Amino acid sequence: MSTRTESVDLVGDEAATNLARAALFAALVGAFAYVTFPNPISPVSVTLQVLGVFLAGIYLGPVWGPAALVLYLAAGALGAPVFEGGSAGVGVLVGQSAGYLWSYPLAAGVVGAVVHRGATLRDPDAAGLATLVAAMVLGTVVIYALGVAGLALVLSLGPVEAVAVGAVAFLPAEALKIAAAVGIVRSDAIAAA
Amino acid sequence: MITLEDVTCRYGAHDRGEDDGDAIDDSVLAVDDVTLSVPDGEFLVVAGANGSGKTTLVRTFNGLVRPDSGTVSVNGTPVSEDLVAARAAVGMTFQDPRDQLVSATVGGDVAFGPENLGLPREEIDRRVEAALDAVDMAGRGDDRITTLSGGERQRVAIAGALAMEPDHLVCDEPFTGLDEPARESVLTRLRERHAGGTGVVVVTHDLRDVVGFADRVVGLDDGRIVVDGPPSEAVPTLSDIGVRVPAGFDAAGDDHAGRSDEP
Amino acid sequence: MTLEYVPGDSLAHRLDPRTKLLVQIGFAAAAYAHTTPRGLAVLTLLAGGSLWAADGDPVDLWGYRFALPVLLAAPLVAGATLGTPWFRVARAETAALASYRVLLLLVVAAAYVRSTPVRDSRAAIHHTVPGRIGAFLGVGVALVFRFLPLLRRDLLAAREAVHVRGGDRLPVHERMRLIAVAGTNRAFGRADRLGTALAARCFAWNPTLPRLAFRRADYPVLALGAGLLATAVATTV
Repeated sequence: MSTRTESVDLVGDEAATNLARAALFAALVGAFAYVTFPNPISPVSVTLQVLGVFLAGIYLGPVWGPAALVLYLAAGALGAPVFEGGSAGVGVLVGQSAGYLWSYPLAAGVVGAVVHRGATLRDPDAAGLATLVAAMVLGTVVIYALGVAGLALVLSLGPVEAVAVGAVAFLPAEALKIAAAVGIVRSDAIAAA
Repeated sequence: MITLEDVTCRYGAHDRGEDDGDAIDDSVLAVDDVTLSVPDGEFLVVAGANGSGKTTLVRTFNGLVRPDSGTVSVNGTPVSEDLVAARAAVGMTFQDPRDQLVSATVGGDVAFGPENLGLPREEIDRRVEAALDAVDMAGRGDDRITTLSGGERQRVAIAGALAMEPDHLVCDEPFTGLDEPARESVLTRLRERHAGGTGVVVVTHDLRDVVGFADRVVGLDDGRIVVDGPPSEAVPTLSDIGVRVPAGFDAAGDDHAGRSDEP
Repeated sequence: MTLEYVPGDSLAHRLDPRTKLLVQIGFAAAAYAHTTPRGLAVLTLLAGGSLWAADGDPVDLWGYRFALPVLLAAPLVAGATLGTPWFRVARAETAALASYRVLLLLVVAAAYVRSTPVRDSRAAIHHTVPGRIGAFLGVGVALVFRFLPLLRRDLLAAREAVHVRGGDRLPVHERMRLIAVAGTNRAFGRADRLGTALAARCFAWNPTLPRLAFRRADYPVLALGAGLLATAVATTV
């Protein structure tokens, strides 16, 4: 059996698993777009996507978490139905949700960096409740700051108008997702992390 | 030829380190001092109950699991020295093919291995065609993976391994979750590959499908080889270690080797 | 119903994916540079043409219905003002043009999605993004396409299980937690099995690249994309 083995630049086994996890998390964030919950505070229903962004930061860390969200954006741009309501395409990335979407890798990075305090992962539960909540609040700030800025830019709105269209109805539900994420970490229910 | 010498694999020694100081004491021996050689062209069945270490054992063949001690060689070269050669020479399929197929289409998936080997496109096309033919799926390269049945997915996984043109094809529990016709079909493909000269290793906790075609059966219990020989010798002891054996084999010295309905 | 690739033999189906991506980028740039009634009128024809060239029809746009509320609300919110004149038509007009621009971008995106299989998109990445980043994106994107339906099914099953056990009475964040835990665990389980399978198949940073070549039909379309980009640059600079 003679294969020119020295020319093959193998992805290490650990990197292969990390890449697989990033891709599966990207798909999970996409699948979360299809799960809607009634919003107790506003008529706009909530999806779990932002929760997916938080979890990517928490469980994949500040390097592979953002990598997962980059894959999510790339796959969506190239036609995987992973954006809101199962939509896809480059147009979405330059459309009214552009700011929110582009903020996801950054937000996952922020959450991951705060929870893990560096590139080496640790048990997220060890970070403590305050750190966990702070990480996600910070992540939410990143998402909404960029999201609202994107809205203002893309739809030619003023700052107050953009906040009215893009944050007021959605922001309260983020508290629910933070609560859910805290519950997930504290219950130690994620087996493979 | 795959050769294992005094191979021992622990579970937990690596990933439990920081939890508690005495992690080593906690670690489980998944494979316990195994010496084994698998000649080219052999149809070998590795049998054992769940948790007997059989999956860990075969994963040392291509370096997916690195032994804590002992050496594994493929065609005379230690696996640790040339992973690519070992993985090209030992094709492997796993339980639940749903999670091991990478492309949206059958042809794209089968091409994945040869592409990684950096083969020229014409050679890849030739191998994909041959591999699909070998699993009786010729002309179905454009089919979408999501539309396949369980048995077809298992066959695509086998084709993906065959496209690397391995010396040995290792299938971990290839029949799990398949209905009778699908098992039959997968088994027929394996026998054809064996007849064509490829070594076949089937890992299973249920001997009923394969025992009639095996050259040799290795029984594993608690990470140790407890029996190693031709089916007629090995099978009588296997039911003691939690392996399902065909009814006719329960009584020792039975001359009924396998299924009579297979000509 | 979601917008997705539909096999076919239209003009758009036969184009190189890189050509189609360049047109989209050019179109987006032009739409942002010429957000005037006249500019958008010309681009409307182009957008319609691209969807037609992909054998698509307006029904394909149904996949983007979730964008509509925001796109409709924006001009109203922009026009509304506290105190006289209560509604500023000029402001609303600007915002309406901006909203319409987004709609056009979605139409062109629909044409790409409809006419481009994953294989082509993956090939386009491998051929445009060099090195390990390209390999990561190429394989990663293919895997997202491959596993999205499986994870959607996992989540549906989880939701069903929560429902059957009377979970509907739980507070919303608890229900979110249960479903997210199930989904995340399934994703990790699948990822770890997949990672092993990738390794067994010699997963490499430098695989043989998929075939991809521009054909004669690509050149005029490439020129169109470049032209759109050029007009955008010309107006901005």
